[in-house]
Amino acid sequence: MHTPRHIRGALIGAAVLTTILATACSAPGKSSTSSSGSGKGPIKIAVVDAQSGQLSSLGHWESNGAKLAVDQWNAKGGINGRKIQLDVFDDQGDPTVGTNLARKIASDGYIAMIGTSESAVTQAMAPILQQEQIPNITSGQADSMVKLGSPFLFLNGPTSTTYDETLAKYVVDTKGIKSIAMITNNGGYGKGEHDAFLASLSKRGVTPLTDQVVTTDQKDFSAALTTIRQKNPQLVFIGSEEVEAGLIVKQARDLGITVPFAGSAPQGTPVFAETAGAANVENTIVSSPYLGNDISDASRTFAAAYKAAYGDDAELHGAKAYDGTSIVLTALKTSNVATGKKLADAIRATKYNGLLGSFAFDSTGVGIFATSIGVISNGKLAAAS
Amino acid sequence: MQVFFQTLIGGLSLGAVYALVAMGFSLVYRTMGLVNFAHGDVVMIGAYVASTFYMSAKLPFALAIVAAIVVTGLIGVIIERVLRPLENKDFDLMLIGTIGFGIVLEAVATLIWGATGRAVPSPVPAAPLDIFGIRVRTYNLVVLAIAALAMVALVLFLQRTKRGAAMQAVAMDYEAATAVGIHVGRSNALSFSIGAGLAALGGGLVGPLLYVNASMGGSLGIKGFAAAILGGFGSIPGAILGGLAIGVLDSFSAGHFQGYSDLVTFLVFTVIIMVRPTGVFGERTVNRA
Repeated sequence: MHTPRHIRGALIGAAVLTTILATACSAPGKSSTSSSGSGKGPIKIAVVDAQSGQLSSLGHWESNGAKLAVDQWNAKGGINGRKIQLDVFDDQGDPTVGTNLARKIASDGYIAMIGTSESAVTQAMAPILQQEQIPNITSGQADSMVKLGSPFLFLNGPTSTTYDETLAKYVVDTKGIKSIAMITNNGGYGKGEHDAFLASLSKRGVTPLTDQVVTTDQKDFSAALTTIRQKNPQLVFIGSEEVEAGLIVKQARDLGITVPFAGSAPQGTPVFAETAGAANVENTIVSSPYLGNDISDASRTFAAAYKAAYGDDAELHGAKAYDGTSIVLTALKTSNVATGKKLADAIRATKYNGLLGSFAFDSTGVGIFATSIGVISNGKLAAAS
Repeated sequence: MQVFFQTLIGGLSLGAVYALVAMGFSLVYRTMGLVNFAHGDVVMIGAYVASTFYMSAKLPFALAIVAAIVVTGLIGVIIERVLRPLENKDFDLMLIGTIGFGIVLEAVATLIWGATGRAVPSPVPAAPLDIFGIRVRTYNLVVLAIAALAMVALVLFLQRTKRGAAMQAVAMDYEAATAVGIHVGRSNALSFSIGAGLAALGGGLVGPLLYVNASMGGSLGIKGFAAAILGGFGSIPGAILGGLAIGVLDSFSAGHFQGYSDLVTFLVFTVIIMVRPTGVFGERTVNRA
């Protein structure tokens, strides 16, 4: 029996249409499995970071660190003979832009993401990345990210709790300083620092003399700083990003506050020192997992390679991103370029000895639990004696 | 008491910069009836150019600012020239055009100076003055003085010179101004470039106070715009008063409401504007917008 020609045509048409629809409907994350997971082309990894705006220096350092790691792996032939393709996306330090980028990297078939350097942006992206099963290793440190409980979210450094517990231990237990004032901003990072340091202080029975909160784009800190000056503390804890922290310290010195400041990662960066003025940051106490380029042989090698590639001196954020990217690449290698859940499990299982120390991830995605204390003297960050 | 006065001083210092930004907004509005939304980004360009001449070319700070005023004045002329065909044809398009220029300027700044920004060392290295426990930065006094001078010069220019009067005439009646022989395009170009020059003055002065980067125009622009509205849009003394008021308001709400200070600042602003829609010195000579 012959099927009339037009009916056969319609059947074929329907079959083609169904196939197209089925492909179009499948989750974008899944289609990446076929396009770059088990395929032959380059392995696509996305770097999402602020490349513009007030936080762009962070994003700049981080993408540099990530690129350095990838270039070194590519120079050695990539993974399983496949090149690694690293593309940088600008989130402008804005959570909304971040969520759009999360969807974009999912639909473009990236199998892992490096970044962001802003806790708030990472937090906004996490649910989408979890749904699309894209492992993400961030430079953020806020504890609130860990509380999300996403199995696809990893940290390339310690959390605020680790930074601030180490700092409080040094300041209160070792130095015996008990009159402490706090100034933090109300952004994702500042809030995390505020809560973590306050918790560490109250564990030691210390109440801050005053607890000032500023906004993330505030420019004049006279009111907060004058209140702090009147309380006459021995130390001021600062929980804010590089530029704002620099402005706070600069204005504090102008207002006659002469006591040292203490903080974590941002206070160890050159941008902080330049914004505040070199003389103003003397004696700042910094809790950081990477005090400088002269700590170990590994850090010296890294710093030399960084300098050769970018003409700049390496610092903490570049080192963190280098470690984080190396961990992802190691996991890709051990798992034979797995994607999704398998890749996340491979990252969790990776034991890695990096610039920041020995990484061993727990179920929350945190891999490192120690920082060191440094003090800025003569413009250089050096380990505290 | 000490906190009160110190907060006041801090607010006035930034307020002087907002005032300079507001003056640029007001001038262009007063003479063209147009809100130049690229103004905040012109401030940013001014800050970058001034800091480049000051830090890289090692010019004295005052000269660096003059150079920045010249460069941004030219940018003002270019913006006006591009928008000129729209003058009196489509006002909405002109507004959108200025927004577009703002985005372009930000992108150009990122291309030239990179995205990371820079800190500018203070040109007045003297230690802050100590007056009964209130610390006053000498540099802030310089900024306040320059803002006051700029206001006086601008008011004199608008009221006492023929060109100033012509600019006013163009704003009030475009056709009548043309009929009495005023070159409207040239008058507008002048107003745009003076506005841009004021932006550069504000930007150059704010550099050592803050941190210069490509996105700094955003918040300075918004605060400056709010200041212009508060003082009475189009009024030059109003812009100065509005700038100082916004600066002080910001400072005090930061002290009292901490993390919620932005919210409080703009709530108070909204209430004032609801009570007095024309601003403090509202004259509303312009009704084309």
